[in-house]
Amino acid sequence: MIHGGSVRAPDEELALHYAREFYGRRQESHRLWIVPREAIVELDDPDLLKPPFDRSFKKPGGYIIKHKLEAAKARAGEGT
Amino acid sequence: MDDQARAESFYAHVGSGGKVEADDWMPDDYRAAVLKFVEMHANSELMGVLPEREWILRAPTLRRKLALTSKVQDEVGHAQLLYRVAEDLGKPREQMLADLMAGRTKFHNVFHYPTASWADVGIIAWLVDAAAIVSQQALRDSSYAPYARTMKKICWEESVHIMHGRDVVLTMMNGTASQRALVQDALDRWWGPLMQMHGPPTDPATDKDLRWRIKAKGNEQLRQEFLSIYVPRIRELGLRIPDAELRQDDDGRWHYTEPDWGELRSVVTGHGPKSQERLAFRRTNHAATQWVRDALLQQASAAA
Repeated sequence: MIHGGSVRAPDEELALHYAREFYGRRQESHRLWIVPREAIVELDDPDLLKPPFDRSFKKPGGYIIKHKLEAAKARAGEGT
Repeated sequence: MDDQARAESFYAHVGSGGKVEADDWMPDDYRAAVLKFVEMHANSELMGVLPEREWILRAPTLRRKLALTSKVQDEVGHAQLLYRVAEDLGKPREQMLADLMAGRTKFHNVFHYPTASWADVGIIAWLVDAAAIVSQQALRDSSYAPYARTMKKICWEESVHIMHGRDVVLTMMNGTASQRALVQDALDRWWGPLMQMHGPPTDPATDKDLRWRIKAKGNEQLRQEFLSIYVPRIRELGLRIPDAELRQDDDGRWHYTEPDWGELRSVVTGHGPKSQERLAFRRTNHAATQWVRDALLQQASAAA
């Protein structure tokens, strides 16, 4: 199963129909799982999903700061 | 050639950029000066891990915990490398460790202060290591070649520590208002010790380390280099440097409030807020690990 997308619907019955329209109209899906958003539990902790077995924290390549630096400079620019 | 003439020729050699190896003839004064310099550096690497070690179990993520552990490991490795260089000049390692733990020899001022929050850990890894690397880059040109050679590895590893520190600071500055406040507070407390770190300006006429090029650059020049590189990088994050006098004139020279040299002297002679506690830790640790040294030495002499 892969993530196909999301739908906005007021109830379960309409959600099923919308899902079929968006993700099953041309027989591209064999099965669809439709889940209310509140039922989803998310895991995005990098410590658990991408622990640094490559020891990148010991190497210069482990510290690419370009975007963080730009964001910090922009915030500093806005503030008084 | 008698010793006097030999010494004069030696000092002319080192004063003009010449290098000295461990088994070269050297005047006793020069040997003693290099030993004292390298010993203090080794002591500083060993004591320097203690403020950061306190945070290994309190790091906010696994990645930071591993990075901090790795940094501590690097610093202890630097200490061992430098004690080895110092040992070759004639002082046994056991004696150097005993002198350190008894408070007879010194280590750098910055390692005598407490850490208040995770922000301190970022500020130390970024700015203290940066001030150190400015000295260490200059030491790559030291007249005592074995010491100069260790600086290559040390500088490489320190440069990664600085990146780690800057990343910690950036992460907090991009975080919440209270995280930014913690960083500003850490900078407010660490700025004074940082400005003292390179030491007061000295005159080659009285500073043997400088005259004999054990130190290739003077203290004031190092401080100026540190300010030139790091003041803009600190300010661009929106941090305020707690010195109203700090400014750069048209010639590029930095002016600042005179650092408290009295505080520096007092701290390095063991009167810093954490000096005695950290030396006590070293003594306890040394005593607690005596069984390891005894076991290894017993095995070694049994095998011999």
